[in-house]
Amino acid sequence: MIVRGDSDRRWRRIFLILGIVVAAYALLAPLTSLDAAQSAGVPLLADRLWFRIATFIAMFVVMATAWNIIGGITGYAAFGNVAFFGIGAYTTGMLIAKARWPFLVALPVAPIIATAFATLIGLPLLRLRGHYFAVASLGVGVAVGELVQNVEYHGQPIFGGASGLFLPIYSIDNRGLFFFYLMVLAAGISIAVTWWVLRSRFGYGLIAIRENEEAAAVLGVNTTAYKVAAFALAAALTGMAGGIFSQWNVFINQDNAFPIEYNVQMILMALLGGTGTVFGPAAGAVLLQLLIQFLGGSLPISADIPFVSDAARPIVAQVILGVLLVVVVIFVPRGVIDFFGGRTRLSLAYLRRSLRETSL
Amino acid sequence: MGVMTVRRWAMLAMAVVAVVACGGSESGGNTTGSTITLGAPLGLTGSLTKESTLTQQGYNLWLDWINARGGIVVNGVKHPVKIKYYDDTSSANQSAVLMQKLITEDKANFLLGPYGSAATATDAAIAEQNQIPMVEANGAAQSIFNQGYKYTFGVLSPANKYLQGVIDMAATLNPKPTTIAMLSADDNFSLEVANAINTYAPTKGMNVVLFKKYKNGATNLAAEVQAAKAVNPDIVLNSGHLTEAIAINKAAKEQKLNAKIFAYSVGPSTPDFITALGADANFVYDGSQWTPQVKYTPAFYLTVAQYVAAYKAKYPSLGDPDYHVAESTAACLALERAIENAGSLDPKKVRDALAALDVTVFFGQIKFDSRGINIYKPMVVEQIQSGVHHTVFPADVADAQPMYPTPAWDQR
Repeated sequence: MIVRGDSDRRWRRIFLILGIVVAAYALLAPLTSLDAAQSAGVPLLADRLWFRIATFIAMFVVMATAWNIIGGITGYAAFGNVAFFGIGAYTTGMLIAKARWPFLVALPVAPIIATAFATLIGLPLLRLRGHYFAVASLGVGVAVGELVQNVEYHGQPIFGGASGLFLPIYSIDNRGLFFFYLMVLAAGISIAVTWWVLRSRFGYGLIAIRENEEAAAVLGVNTTAYKVAAFALAAALTGMAGGIFSQWNVFINQDNAFPIEYNVQMILMALLGGTGTVFGPAAGAVLLQLLIQFLGGSLPISADIPFVSDAARPIVAQVILGVLLVVVVIFVPRGVIDFFGGRTRLSLAYLRRSLRETSL
Repeated sequence: MGVMTVRRWAMLAMAVVAVVACGGSESGGNTTGSTITLGAPLGLTGSLTKESTLTQQGYNLWLDWINARGGIVVNGVKHPVKIKYYDDTSSANQSAVLMQKLITEDKANFLLGPYGSAATATDAAIAEQNQIPMVEANGAAQSIFNQGYKYTFGVLSPANKYLQGVIDMAATLNPKPTTIAMLSADDNFSLEVANAINTYAPTKGMNVVLFKKYKNGATNLAAEVQAAKAVNPDIVLNSGHLTEAIAINKAAKEQKLNAKIFAYSVGPSTPDFITALGADANFVYDGSQWTPQVKYTPAFYLTVAQYVAAYKAKYPSLGDPDYHVAESTAACLALERAIENAGSLDPKKVRDALAALDVTVFFGQIKFDSRGINIYKPMVVEQIQSGVHHTVFPADVADAQPMYPTPAWDQR
């Protein structure tokens, strides 16, 4: 075991304070855009670009945190969670665009439909293990997107088909602010749910399944029910993010509601931050999404990447993300939250130990 | 060195200054104003790289021209123009973030469209919420324009117009064809094109006697062609893509399906079609947004011939400009004229000027309906004659007569 020294404890406190300060700033800065603040002469700390990026980050916090419940805590590598995001987006989208429901009434339906779908496919899918489950779940993610685009009734696409689904622009003052806080609320709910899971009998059951499924079954854990419940919970949270996205983005189609790259990104975020922990996936989502936006050149602060022309930048960004995935999986398998969380410290010894653990 | 030399130098210097000053006042006679920033996210990498690059070429052709003239004239003041591009990696989500960045960080005065209907749809919502006009040239889906958006304008003809030109042309021919067999791919764009003919043909005294849908991307269409042969139509229409058009044409020859007109929505306008079919490509018609042969009398900017020459001068290795390039340049022209008409850089005033715009340029008439799409420019009809593309309809822009009727396969 690693002995925790005084200096470690001090570092941990510093990081904790730093985290709280950053989070408080991120949550309060948008308020400076309110008319009242502006007329009172408060400097503008967050504009519409800030809202758009921050809302994306919060969206990924929800998705990574939700993935963590099935992928991190239960240990089932779900590669198709984007299906729940898309189902949530299309549920809310259809109810608003076709049935003319108000947004706040249509939103809660998204997690319900996503949960129902996850339960339905979870029952057969979660009988598979390891690679088989990963591949099958990836297939479901792709298939649902294709279905949504191609299902027709009397020759008319039901879900808007290839030309997608348009929602009316939500009329509310300070729209950017509204969707930012709504997405942050969803992120908060996801983290709270994870916190509760890890302290509940349900969570202990899930961890037991991850560590040894046969042993868990012998101990009396109803593994099928537990796994499906974890899968459904992840689906509900992801579907909620999709529902918010549809009204926020106004336009949804197969490309933006079922983006296959989100599957990889949410997993990478959870790995980067630390799977199985409460705050790890959230931290990973913030770090990675900031990095993606930075490399893509959409942050207000941007720096030239040495030796890379602007034209090659997006390609280099993909390469950097790929390398990051490899490095994280090999050297930091427990995520950055692990050494900031105080259990261990980032050191050469840590990396060597990780390498040993992840090598065959 | 004497006093004389010094004086001569001084005289020369004064003369130079005078010439420069005169030259400056002659070429404009007005002061230079602030730079107008236009913004456009484009898929410069990713799956839409080819079309996005063509779009950028169209924008840049106009940019060179306008800045060579000193910029856009607003109330007698010349404003140089800058176009800020971002690479959205062909992702509509990223396009939206970058659109917002163009508005918020780069303070773009006006927006030019991205490539593709998905990105255009997402960006239209951003333009609307920020109340900044966006003129786009590469999103033909009508759904974008059915949302009641007030700040998005499309210079291109919408999807439902793609084959209507062929029907209009057919109505002028003798003997007049009356029956149509329609073979359509099942993707949304193709269906929008095909369904429009179902309702449009009867207004011109023609009837769709067969409407057959096939899977988008199909390579064997023998059964569909057989079904068409059974109804013996005057016109065979295909709303689909290059490979399907080739497959239909091959099957028609094999099965001796003889129609008076073979017209395919997308495909024949590309050189690949002629390469793949050789002499069998002759007599085939297609609908196109624009061709390098059209004859429009432009109110400003270049004539069609000058435009083609300017394109070839800037991009010597690329051949004639594609219609993507032309429509993108046309978007810039619409914006330029609207800014001039508005006499202001105020987004709302320019929006109103765009809504009221009615001008003809090398691309054709640019005028927007109440939804913001250009339904006034006709699609032109091309025909392949002896292995060369000719524009055959409308007559006032055509460079050749349609070769009608198409001879039977065994008489070619």
